[in-house]
Amino acid sequence: MAGETAASFAPILYMLGFGLLASIPALVLSRLISPRRRYNPVKFLPMECGQMPTGQGRSHFMMQYYAYILMFVVFDVISIFLFAWASSLFQIPRYATLPIIAFLGIMFASMGYALYLSGRKGIW
Amino acid sequence: MSTYPEKFRFGEFVGSIVWLVFIILILVTLIGLPLIFVVLFYAPLPPVGDQVLTPYLFLSMTVDPTRTLPIIKYFIHTDLFRIAAFPGFSYAALFAAVTIFVERKFLAKMQLRVGPLYAGKIEGIFQLLADGLKLVSKEIIVPSGADKPIFWAAPIAFVATAAAVTTLIPVAPGWVAANINVGLLAVFAILGFFPLIALLFSWASNSKYPFIGGLRALHQMIAFEIPFILSALSVVILAGSLNLTEIVNSQISSNWYILFLPISAFVFYISSLAELERIPFDLPEAESEIVAGWLTETSGMIYGLIQLGSYIKTYALAALFVVLFLGGWAGPVIFPAELTPGYTGVRIYNAITASAIFWFTIKTFGMIMLMLLPRGINPRIRIDILLHTGWYKLIVLAFINMFVALALVYGGILGPGGLLVR
Repeated sequence: MAGETAASFAPILYMLGFGLLASIPALVLSRLISPRRRYNPVKFLPMECGQMPTGQGRSHFMMQYYAYILMFVVFDVISIFLFAWASSLFQIPRYATLPIIAFLGIMFASMGYALYLSGRKGIW
Repeated sequence: MSTYPEKFRFGEFVGSIVWLVFIILILVTLIGLPLIFVVLFYAPLPPVGDQVLTPYLFLSMTVDPTRTLPIIKYFIHTDLFRIAAFPGFSYAALFAAVTIFVERKFLAKMQLRVGPLYAGKIEGIFQLLADGLKLVSKEIIVPSGADKPIFWAAPIAFVATAAAVTTLIPVAPGWVAANINVGLLAVFAILGFFPLIALLFSWASNSKYPFIGGLRALHQMIAFEIPFILSALSVVILAGSLNLTEIVNSQISSNWYILFLPISAFVFYISSLAELERIPFDLPEAESEIVAGWLTETSGMIYGLIQLGSYIKTYALAALFVVLFLGGWAGPVIFPAELTPGYTGVRIYNAITASAIFWFTIKTFGMIMLMLLPRGINPRIRIDILLHTGWYKLIVLAFINMFVALALVYGGILGPGGLLVR
């Protein structure tokens, strides 16, 4: 049973393999027939609109809106939990929806507070 | 500034090509055909029709057109065909190719331009071929200091991941490569890889514009991931299943869910635009702000592969919209078997499947056109407005329709034994 469930996912893996099979020859073919002119140090510089690049390519960046990424970690899991309830809605008794409503209440309250905090300026 | 080599003669060029063809023919006859026979002799061959297939039978049946049908019938029901050809890669790639051409002509007509016109006599029909040749024959420049393995692997992973989504889409009854019980969640799980690939590629290319673009892609995709998931939740409430085939069957037995859940459909449409990085949500590739976003350092075929992947993803998300809200393949049977010329009682194709594929293709193409439409009429929005739209407005809208769906089920209108269920 568990083996059958796992085997039903196999076409996705086959497709990943087929995607590799279909796209690697494109790159190889391109590498074979495209011109490769002589080395020119300017050619391989990172693109900075024609200027000489200054500093490192991977330097420190201002990570704005960091609060939203933190929120995503929590609320993505919560919204996936709701699928477990929704897909078995026809099998469970009706009063079993009440705890889900309470769960949604907790989710709304925490989301509202998180959105209020992430909208404030000067604390992030 | 390309010049011919000094001793270039056209006759010698043609002669070399003729020699090449000749050598390939000899190699195929001497090595290829015996190899095929050896492989066919040792491979376990299936029973086709009423007899077990042997190599000799296989070759004689493929040559004789009146006996080819059982072999074709056998091979289109194998896993390989489903993955490589019909509901899988080739179908999606065909959709992608048509979408690229139609998008250019469609946007040109909307903006009073003519679009591609010169390649090919009729309306630039060979423009796609010309672009493909151009992309293949351009040099791939890897910027200095780039993380080379990731730089080469990311486009390939992008195409493969986009293609993996298409295995889960049911195109007709029984025509799905991976018919799994948690199909919808699997789609979300695979879609979750895309911001990772964008961020990895942007980090690997050792440049500043790609990195800004990659961070924007991350922000955008996670801001719209939650409305995207929650808008599908109300469909799951009405259908009572996560299997995409069963979701379509429940719509056939009641009605299209866009009639009951228009707000969810709207939220799903907007957030799939954001997932696809299309205008008005094309901040990761904003060409007037950060050169080309996370695609700045791509060149040649690497750019081509990423474009192919993003158009396959467009097909996958449009098809997912059709499956969730527009009833999938639901529609009247318009290709009965009796219509085929020379009908003698032998059914060449399954009428229900043919109509299902027709309706699914029509609906998906209409949905793709609807996704292309904002590019012609909308400007790009700012990143704080984007985050505000995703987090404050779309989530609330998705929840409104979730309660509507709950009321429909508990009010006895939909669900098992409901009023509107046939």
